[in-house]
Amino acid sequence: MSETKSAMTGKKRPRILVALAVALALAFGTCGNYGCAQQGPQENNPAGETPQKTELQIFAANSLEKALPQVQELYVQKNQGVTFADTQFKASGDLVEQIKAGATPDLLVTASAGSMDTASSNGSIDDATRKTMFENDLVLVCGTSSDVSIQSLSDVTRDDITAIAIGDGETVPAGQYANQALNTIGMYSDASGKGGSYDSSFEPKVRTASSVGNAAKYVESGDCQIGFVYSSDLYRYSGIKTAFTVPSSAHKPIVYPGAVLKSSANADAAADFLDFCLNDPDAQRVWSQYGFEVA
Amino acid sequence: MLAVMALALFASAMLLCLTVSSAWAASPDAVELSADGRSARDGALTFAASDVHRMNKGTSKSYEGRSFGYRFPMTDAQSFTVVATSEAVIVHVPREVADRLRLDVEEASVQDGLMRLVRTVDDAIAHGGVPLSTLEVPTLFTTESSLLHGAYCYRFGVVVEPGSSYVCVEVAAAPSLSPSPSPSQEARAEAEEWSQAVPSADNQAAAGNDASAGALFTLSGRLLPVEEVVIQQPASGTDALWEFFYGIDYRPFWVSLRTSLAAMVFVFVLGLAAARLSLKMSSRLRDVLDSIFTIPMVLPPTVCGFLLLMAFGNSTELGRWFTAHGLSLVFSWQSAVLAAFVVAFPLMYRTARGAFEGLDPSIADAARTLGWSNARIFFRLTLPLAWPSIAAGTVLSFARAMGEFGATLFVAGNYAGVTQTMPLAIYYQWMGGRTDIAAFWVVVVILISFAVILLINWYASRTQRYRKPGLDKGGEKGA
Repeated sequence: MSETKSAMTGKKRPRILVALAVALALAFGTCGNYGCAQQGPQENNPAGETPQKTELQIFAANSLEKALPQVQELYVQKNQGVTFADTQFKASGDLVEQIKAGATPDLLVTASAGSMDTASSNGSIDDATRKTMFENDLVLVCGTSSDVSIQSLSDVTRDDITAIAIGDGETVPAGQYANQALNTIGMYSDASGKGGSYDSSFEPKVRTASSVGNAAKYVESGDCQIGFVYSSDLYRYSGIKTAFTVPSSAHKPIVYPGAVLKSSANADAAADFLDFCLNDPDAQRVWSQYGFEVA
Repeated sequence: MLAVMALALFASAMLLCLTVSSAWAASPDAVELSADGRSARDGALTFAASDVHRMNKGTSKSYEGRSFGYRFPMTDAQSFTVVATSEAVIVHVPREVADRLRLDVEEASVQDGLMRLVRTVDDAIAHGGVPLSTLEVPTLFTTESSLLHGAYCYRFGVVVEPGSSYVCVEVAAAPSLSPSPSPSQEARAEAEEWSQAVPSADNQAAAGNDASAGALFTLSGRLLPVEEVVIQQPASGTDALWEFFYGIDYRPFWVSLRTSLAAMVFVFVLGLAAARLSLKMSSRLRDVLDSIFTIPMVLPPTVCGFLLLMAFGNSTELGRWFTAHGLSLVFSWQSAVLAAFVVAFPLMYRTARGAFEGLDPSIADAARTLGWSNARIFFRLTLPLAWPSIAAGTVLSFARAMGEFGATLFVAGNYAGVTQTMPLAIYYQWMGGRTDIAAFWVVVVILISFAVILLINWYASRTQRYRKPGLDKGGEKGA
């Protein structure tokens, strides 16, 4: 009995060691060869190991996901030595929270003055650098093959409209603007578009989305008949079209403020990029194509 | 790298064939359209359009203190421009360009041909905006550099910043705003003349605001002799396949691998240690510790993520204390490892504990009578005997670490090449409208998971063969 056991033990032991060794070697091997090699420049630059190279980290409203990378590319072409880390495109409210929790981008662009105000009261941004960058419109979209007809805002209460995608008013500025508009027809309780509730007849139709892009995706995939998004969102998703443009009198002006962060180690470069976004004719061309009106 | 490519190539071939074939089905027209949708030519015409851009919004921004109304960028000073308004579609071809191409824009065949090219391009690049082809308004053609239509005045080829050209829309209320009768060749001089004609700052602001209603969108591009425009056909067959795989960012695979392997080193060592520790304890303390070790498995990953963010992030005293003492973890690759560790640890711990408990304690006692130390008993007896279960637990927790989403998103964010693992890539690629790439990663993850389960099954049937009665080695020996 004990003989067979010890024989077994003797046979198995090296395997365990080999398995452990392989696991360790792989973990550090991959890190050494591949992962870290790719991640290296991104991790090292903020620490300032290579001073002539500046890497900017931008946090931007989700709706800028297609347009901003193109402008970044233009900027890199015209400014040697500046690169961009992976820009984060999320709901403005998420970005502000993430910064509060310890993320350290150089530049923040939100889709509402309100989110930027929150970032400002958190002490995250340098108020002197704050600029209004873009204006946008709120539209109701439907799928490209849909024949839904919306003639006025109150048409959303019609019985044949059963699923409406709206960004979450707490974090998604587009959702707040939509709720402000819904407030004008009595379907949302709070005029600020945040912290209220939908009318009980309207609530079952509402499909809350975690970003304006998700609202657009719900409509594109057919999960919702219509959705409240920005007019600029039309140009970054293929399966949606405008059903109705919400009158700008129904909600607060849709503006995108941008600001450099207080904690930014590359504040000058970030401010320069912000200026480039607003004043470069080639950047203007990109904004125009994607439906952003430079303010 | 090659391995991923091969894996992916095999898996996504079918998916891609579908995409490619659907893209092909959409172009049976006399007008040829380039792959990027920006150039169009028709063999029946002497001219073709290239580099066409659709400008969906303009800007009222003034430049160096001067207002230019509501302006849309043009491709360049020599571009043709189509301005869609609620009352008309205005097509402007610069006189020089018309002369060079010997086009008479008053001629119906030229007008039809141009509009056919423009509409084809517009259908490809309108992207859900109002297509030009659905506007039921008259179309006007002009070679003049300015045009008065309705309440608005349209100026073409206006230089704002040096080297740029714009279409400017102004409210044509004041008589002084009527266009200059003879079109000047000097666009710059014209722009100056124009801005001088606009009376006061107040009017400028008012005009700028109203002017945006004067155009819905514009299209602008180059008109060239038909033989100069080369239409880049969309890639097909294997080329399209290569283009697809070449365009994919493979970093999520390596990030996933690195993150979960690094986490596994800790999971393996600490999981075994915790399992062994819990066996040595009084049963009451063990129950408490066991609950603590197991709870991440029961909790939603977002709860783990939240707690980790609160513990290490900047928004709590504790987090700030950690940061001040050099442990700045959040939104870095280390935090992704931490998140993967927290969710994978319970799996390892539970399987190892189960395996240790399943062993006959008398074996260890027997070893002790032979004078073996506790460490020797653990490494040379307990561990080898429990190895099949531990191996299965390792593979399972590795798979769990690879599949981690909620906690990672919370505490590590979604940084491509740093913390963006495959599950995050699937969600964010889909959200960004790149469904094909999301599908690619879905296929990769399914294949990996399938391989993992197959590996466990294969290994289990191999290591536990001795338990089966019958024709295996042990059975033969016994007989």
